[in-house]
Amino acid sequence: MHIIVCVKQIPDPEIPSAKFKIDPATKKVVPPAGVPPVISVFDERAVEAACQLKDKNGAKITVISMGQGKVADVVKHALSMGADDGITLQDSAFENLDSYGTAYVLSKAIQKIGEYDLVLCGRQAADWDSGQVGSILAEMLGIPVVTIARNIQAADGGLRVERVLKDGYEVVQAPMPCLVTVSNEVGLPRLPTGMGIITATRKKIPAWTAQDIEIDPAQVAPEGAHTEIVKLSVPIRDVQCEIVTGKDAGEAAVELAVRLRAANII
Amino acid sequence: MSPVSATYWGLSGYVIFWVLFAVAFGLFVRRLFFLFRLMRQGKDENRFDNIGQRIRMMVVEVVPQWCNLKTVTRKDLAGLGHALMFWGFSFFLVSYIIFIGLAGGFGLAHVIEGTAFEKVFLTILDVAGVAVTIAILWAAFRRYIIRPERLEPSAEAAIILCTVFALMVLNVCVVGFNYALLDVQSSWPPIGAALAAWLTSAGVSQGALDAGYKISWWLHYVLIIGFMVYIPYSKHLHILTSPANVFFRSLGPKMAPQPINFEEAETFGVSQINEFTWKDLLDLYSCAECGRCHVNCPAQLSGKVLSPRETILSLKEHLLETGVAKPEAGADASAESSAKQMIGDVVTEDAIWDCTTCGACQEICPVGVEHVRKMIDLRRNLVLMQSRMPETVQLMLRNMQTKGHPWAGVQSMRLRGDWTGGLDLKILGEGGNDHADTLLWVGCTGALVDRNVQVTTSLVTVLDAAGVEFGVLGGEEACCGDPARRVGYEIQFQTIAEQNIEVFKSYGIKRIITACPHCYNALKNEYPKFGADFEVVHYTRLVADLIGKGTLNPAGGWDSAVTYHDPCYLGRYNEEYAAPRQILQAIPGANIREMERSQSTSLCCGGGGGHMWMEEKTGRKINEIRIEDVTSTGAETVVTSCPYCLQMLEEGIERKQLKSSLRAMDLIELVEKAIN
Repeated sequence: MHIIVCVKQIPDPEIPSAKFKIDPATKKVVPPAGVPPVISVFDERAVEAACQLKDKNGAKITVISMGQGKVADVVKHALSMGADDGITLQDSAFENLDSYGTAYVLSKAIQKIGEYDLVLCGRQAADWDSGQVGSILAEMLGIPVVTIARNIQAADGGLRVERVLKDGYEVVQAPMPCLVTVSNEVGLPRLPTGMGIITATRKKIPAWTAQDIEIDPAQVAPEGAHTEIVKLSVPIRDVQCEIVTGKDAGEAAVELAVRLRAANII
Repeated sequence: MSPVSATYWGLSGYVIFWVLFAVAFGLFVRRLFFLFRLMRQGKDENRFDNIGQRIRMMVVEVVPQWCNLKTVTRKDLAGLGHALMFWGFSFFLVSYIIFIGLAGGFGLAHVIEGTAFEKVFLTILDVAGVAVTIAILWAAFRRYIIRPERLEPSAEAAIILCTVFALMVLNVCVVGFNYALLDVQSSWPPIGAALAAWLTSAGVSQGALDAGYKISWWLHYVLIIGFMVYIPYSKHLHILTSPANVFFRSLGPKMAPQPINFEEAETFGVSQINEFTWKDLLDLYSCAECGRCHVNCPAQLSGKVLSPRETILSLKEHLLETGVAKPEAGADASAESSAKQMIGDVVTEDAIWDCTTCGACQEICPVGVEHVRKMIDLRRNLVLMQSRMPETVQLMLRNMQTKGHPWAGVQSMRLRGDWTGGLDLKILGEGGNDHADTLLWVGCTGALVDRNVQVTTSLVTVLDAAGVEFGVLGGEEACCGDPARRVGYEIQFQTIAEQNIEVFKSYGIKRIITACPHCYNALKNEYPKFGADFEVVHYTRLVADLIGKGTLNPAGGWDSAVTYHDPCYLGRYNEEYAAPRQILQAIPGANIREMERSQSTSLCCGGGGGHMWMEEKTGRKINEIRIEDVTSTGAETVVTSCPYCLQMLEEGIERKQLKSSLRAMDLIELVEKAIN
């Protein structure tokens, strides 16, 4: 089985929102300096899901990531977790792409890779949380898509995927090749082993440009974008603390319940 | 005439003597050779450096029995008994060689018979015999009547005690019957002579005396050589191995794990017994099962799975079961021959993760067993090879990897450099600051956790008041790597260490002041193996010196009873017990009350070895036990000098609902208040 995992490098989602700045002119987010970017948490789960399949059934895992600067770091991280090959997609034409543009670039890269059985993406990137790329990518590749998976098993030449629902999960049979977007329920990503880190350090990660994957410039041009950012703002977090009291814990709890009910929380 | 020169059933006594000896000695040597070959299966490690120092160390520890006497407390006097037995038995060992080996076996008894030497030596033996007998009875009484927690009343111990007791009795019998038989009129040696006088006065016949002499002599001899054979099969092996173990003890920083060479190593950590070093295996042979580690281990005290004694003994048993690998079968053969998995069957994963690396076991161990690095080696295998670890450890390591510090949750809402806000600091890399001789290394906890940031601020205030010039790294400061190393994720520790050393060098730093004992230990003791050459000082030493010189004057005082909790990584790891106490003594009104467990026997707060980020699922909370230690002193303030300890103590106070009567503070906060 050949699994391709698409991963994204994002600003650390645990940076408190107040630390971000917005550049109003370019409508861009400026993360605070000195905090290294990380692999998007859901994408890391996708790598974990791929590794679980590899552990069980044997597979080759190729990781691709589109981005700038130190994007190879996230690919390296995936390699140290157990992926076999890594490729970065770096080109000035790939900057500021929306979900559609991103899916287009990824689809071209996947077509260049050629043979594959499964494409895995995170359910959404933990920076913009759009959750679009996986579905658009599947459409572009012309393969079925199963979103928000909590478990993926190889079964009868296809896949048996558990899909997260609001209050449970459903089981979906999918043929291969297909695309699955992975949710956090798949399990905590494994910590790279010592050998994994050493092997990853020694691996070469090729960087493909727009030319390498035969990108149609019109598809990634700013005017070709399918989304437009109208306004961007840092959420204001306002916390008001009130201590609910009572003559004993029981009474306080009742009072708390009444208040929560009044506020339509329970 | 020695019984050995007589003839028994037509056989010369000498023949019987030497045949018995040959058999016993053969068994003894065969066993030792087996044990030696087993030990040599361990990995190489150089412990042959500084021979002179090692010899001195061994002589000082073993001959005057400092190894045992240092463990004597009012509650546990057993070390005294051991010393009595050691010194007493040493004379007997010499006597066995002279009187039985040389004089008996070579028919030279007449050379010393009746000489002053004989009288003096037998008298010494009489006294030594009394000392040993007292120690034996005491030991038996303790083991089988008092039954202290640290001792398992084993059959082995009973055999040894009975044998030694019989040897002492027979020694007196031999002299008594001999003197009575030969009608030697002497009052020396007193006990032997007294027995002789009694036998004579009781009118025992010559024939009975002769038989009594021969029987006691031969029984004595058989017991001695039997004991020799029994030694390497029992825990008494420590008689032979523990002096060697003390000799080969680590001379470097205590409890420091060996760095892994990631360029060459093919496997990491230890999952099979022969992946330990030979010194680790010698440790197993040296254990005397005294159980001091067992009763001083915070995990054991709080009802967890880990017992350092059981770990060492299980490993020893496993080593003996595994046996010597057949050379042609390759390196893995020894492991295959034993169906047991070392991690899991011999030492459980729970036990491996229970260790707080506090080093109490190692500190108290009379025979120099190095427990802590074994635990870390086992963790290394779990983490680096198998990716098996508690989820909380994994989360901590992930945080270190992605965020550069081990903290999550509320703590991660702060950024590394936030603590510098509002302080007048020289932040390196900012505003043209590109050099500092002295760096204040704050540590992750002191930079990120609200309560500990207060301590950091106090430290800055005190250093400023003393006119100490220093720079800080602010947002550029990274983790020291200690949490990763203690949970076995050595690769991350090494990467971090190398990066930090580069940063220090780039700013021309010569001296580093640390706030956290864990950073202190890593930077001072463990970074030099990766190319660091900086002076590292913990703030307690620096502040104690500044007070000593009069630069700081804590005249403001402190008006309450305080007790000091020794952080393991400052105390046991670096033997800095004096500086914090000097500071406290310099603060007028600070009424110091020591806890019973303090200094080298201090109890861990429960936060070391990665436990700051792990759940304490089984047993009691270690910090609650420590708070009980605190309250029993009657102190109103418990002072420490470690960010982890401070958090753990505060949590313990909260848990025990003692917030109204007890509070935890960092020592530097006390100093800050006292100088203002």
